[in-house]
Amino acid sequence: MKDQILQTLRILRAYAIKKGVDASIFYYEEESFLMRFANSAVSLNTNEHLVRIEITVYEGRKRASYEMITSLSDIETMKDGIDTAAEMVKHVQPLDYTPSVKVYSENYIDESCYDDSLAHISNEERLAYINEAVEGLNNDDIKLSGIFSCGANTTAQINTRSENIQYFKSSDAQISIVLSHAALNWEVSSEQSAQKKSDLNPLQLRSELRFLVKHYVNNTPQQLSSGRYDIVFGSAAVSELVSIIDWIGICGGAMKRGFSFIKEDDTGKKIFSDKFSLTDDPTRRETFPFSRDITGIVRKPFSIVENGVFRSFTWYQDDADEFGVEATGHTVMHKSLVVHCGDKRVNTLSELMSMPRDRDTLYIPHLHYMNIVNPSKGLITASSRFGALLLKRDGSMAVPYNVRITQCMSDIFGDKLAWLSDKQCAYNTSVSYGARNPTAVITPKFILVNDLEISQVNLSVDKRQT
Amino acid sequence: MRKRLKQQIDRLRAAGAAYVDVRWYPSEQTEHLMMWNGNLKNASASCESGAGVRVLYKGAWGFSASSDTDNLTALFDKAFDNARIAAECVSIAVRLADKHAVQAEFRSPNKIDPFSISLAEKTAFLKKLDQELNQKGVTQRICELTFMKKQIVYLDSEGSEIEKNIIEVFPSIEVMGVDADGESHLRKYKPHINATTRGWEMLDPGMFSENAQRIVAELNQILLAQTCCKDERSVILLPDIMYLQTHETIGHALELDRILGYELAFAGGSFVKPSDFGMLRYGSAKLTARADATIPNSPGSFGYDDDGVAAQNNLLIDKGILVGAITGRQMVEQANDFAHKIIFNGSSGANRAQSFYRVPIERMTNINIDPGTDGTLDDIISTTEKGIILDGEKSWSIGSNREQFHFATEIGWLVEDGRVTDVVKNATYEGDTVKFYNSLSAVGDHSTWKVCQVDNCGKGQPNQVMQLGHGVPVCRFDNVRIGN
Repeated sequence: MKDQILQTLRILRAYAIKKGVDASIFYYEEESFLMRFANSAVSLNTNEHLVRIEITVYEGRKRASYEMITSLSDIETMKDGIDTAAEMVKHVQPLDYTPSVKVYSENYIDESCYDDSLAHISNEERLAYINEAVEGLNNDDIKLSGIFSCGANTTAQINTRSENIQYFKSSDAQISIVLSHAALNWEVSSEQSAQKKSDLNPLQLRSELRFLVKHYVNNTPQQLSSGRYDIVFGSAAVSELVSIIDWIGICGGAMKRGFSFIKEDDTGKKIFSDKFSLTDDPTRRETFPFSRDITGIVRKPFSIVENGVFRSFTWYQDDADEFGVEATGHTVMHKSLVVHCGDKRVNTLSELMSMPRDRDTLYIPHLHYMNIVNPSKGLITASSRFGALLLKRDGSMAVPYNVRITQCMSDIFGDKLAWLSDKQCAYNTSVSYGARNPTAVITPKFILVNDLEISQVNLSVDKRQT
Repeated sequence: MRKRLKQQIDRLRAAGAAYVDVRWYPSEQTEHLMMWNGNLKNASASCESGAGVRVLYKGAWGFSASSDTDNLTALFDKAFDNARIAAECVSIAVRLADKHAVQAEFRSPNKIDPFSISLAEKTAFLKKLDQELNQKGVTQRICELTFMKKQIVYLDSEGSEIEKNIIEVFPSIEVMGVDADGESHLRKYKPHINATTRGWEMLDPGMFSENAQRIVAELNQILLAQTCCKDERSVILLPDIMYLQTHETIGHALELDRILGYELAFAGGSFVKPSDFGMLRYGSAKLTARADATIPNSPGSFGYDDDGVAAQNNLLIDKGILVGAITGRQMVEQANDFAHKIIFNGSSGANRAQSFYRVPIERMTNINIDPGTDGTLDDIISTTEKGIILDGEKSWSIGSNREQFHFATEIGWLVEDGRVTDVVKNATYEGDTVKFYNSLSAVGDHSTWKVCQVDNCGKGQPNQVMQLGHGVPVCRFDNVRIGN
């Protein structure tokens, strides 16, 4: 298949050159499998195999793109796509800058993140994995929901400026299990992210779920008071927060357009807690990394925040072209974000619950439906969901109804940041909006942030009040 | 091709499948143009084709899709294989509500196909808009046009054969500016659809010019405004925020798959239970909501859903009482079982898929609020003692069971003693869904009722982005927390 892909791209390049068209061609292939569970049954078992070709044609300062979902064998349709993009570019308005088309200096093939045995794990194996993970945990009251999503991604790029090709192939799996109580309305969840088949460990999931269920079954959910709490965030919540920082904090183009809470002159300044460091690290396999970006820049660990000091914005090639700066190797489908460890030896929920504390502490593993209230201030809002716990000062524990937090990033990762676990985990943040793009953020297992406000609390077991 | 598809359906039925359907997309085209500060940052088009096959076997679904339709046997067999393995883990066997088999065609009402308009004309349209937005106080200008054109052929093992040809146009303009504190603010305009068609002709240059001037003027008012304080007031929601309130806390909350727990793994559930239908006072007696897929001028109107069920106009909330839900064929039987009574007599025709490579799920059609009897916007303002008028969505965050929410809006106008006083920036409001709708104290008349388009509603795993609409009037809610 690889040879056919490379050969197809070379044929298309030759066709573009023959037609006098300056073009870059992006090949994207996904083979996806999803087994979805609800009400303790397989609610959907689906697969898709799609080939996308995106052709971008340049004419000086003008640029136009044409994308198609097609078959790899249908070269004539792809050639028609080049003709369409070439016709489009004649009629578009020129940009006020010149978009770059980079020369690939060599052929580059990276299949190091591909494991065929994971990409094509069978229907039977996926079902067996889920059954093993929830064995003894779901029953008439406690229902299983979740997904086992896996597949393979292939991307390849060529352009008319050189005959070299970049080719990447990776495999991934994302498993998420939710156990929900039909009468009491609580939900707990656990997830696993895999890049190769040997990463799969259903027993670990079962252990995490069993621990949560044991505590939820034995505690009656209750409404919290609104007000200020010390909050421990789990890796899922931290990943969501860091993804927002990626969007409205560190992206140079967003900053230039006034859509960032980090300002241009913040570079080199301490704007977060000295406990907080953030790196884009493509050497971390768990993040499904790109070793080179789409323009051919070799990607290496890139410091973004170091001990609270903001080091650098990241620049996509097009933003770099527009604003006249150097691109930083971040023209990728996703970064490889890593939040550095702290020094707190609290790395399991059991250790967290048994940790001495002088105040009630709220544990929020997941943040649901996060959105940006004010990008200039880094102000976000989200609700808790799945497995939250109130860890009381006296060592006991309660199950809280969901609560809402509306807070600034500079508070969460600033002076209120009390500690971070000394071990990390990868949290899979993939969302298939349009095309498979496996993504994970590496974070400490937990972080503690003091004195954050809970602005809204759910009211009852029915979650409503008239 | 249709003959080959029918042969495959018959083959799987003979092999034991209880039900089979296929959606073949001979062609789906999209075009997106985005001009940002005068730069045509995106001029892209796409074309895709393929087929998606759904098989029901021993109470379980299997689905498979491919852009390669040369080997239909392999595609149909894969869907059947997926159903076979799913049938090994069934807790509630899928049963489909009855429907009538139909041979039909649907064409969305359009006068001018936007794909017949040259790219040069489209970019000129954007350039003119961009120039009109390029005024004092504006630091960022974004003008966008998105066009969609789908041909969908639906066939099923019950004898239905439906062809749909649908065209959509999604235009928007947006301006941003920076206030004295260095904070960015925005104001945008997406046209309401008051015409009876939805082709290129809906892009009325005069309407855009008028609204370009308005949003620039309002942005400049926001840049000089005070920040909205924390308070408890009546909120008067204009259609460009009321549509999103309706979308998030009536629409999604009343999707029957969410109610029955089929989205718990990702999007969440609903505070509504099957036993609530006919019983729950969802809102005050002024609240009547409906799912109406029959209005001509909205992307929520599509003729037939992807179960092959005809578009309908159904009540969801009748004078405050919950009476209906957004359903496909699968969920209604199960909901009746759960509730131990007949709640639903059949599908409401709302099962839709984003594309050939996604499985249909319950999706909103046009989730509308009926106009009320409380007059015009001015009439509602005049009877408001202490309130705030809100417009334009900036952010939205909803509890996982749609039980509570937080919205940030682009602009707010304070109301004191029946008069509009000051503009405020960073206005937000939050509440608990049922309590909020029970505080509905005024619903504007037909002069305030607008159909707003939604082109980016996300749901499901794998995620599907859907287009739909909301016809909503101006609404006032009392005792709402604002400014957080």
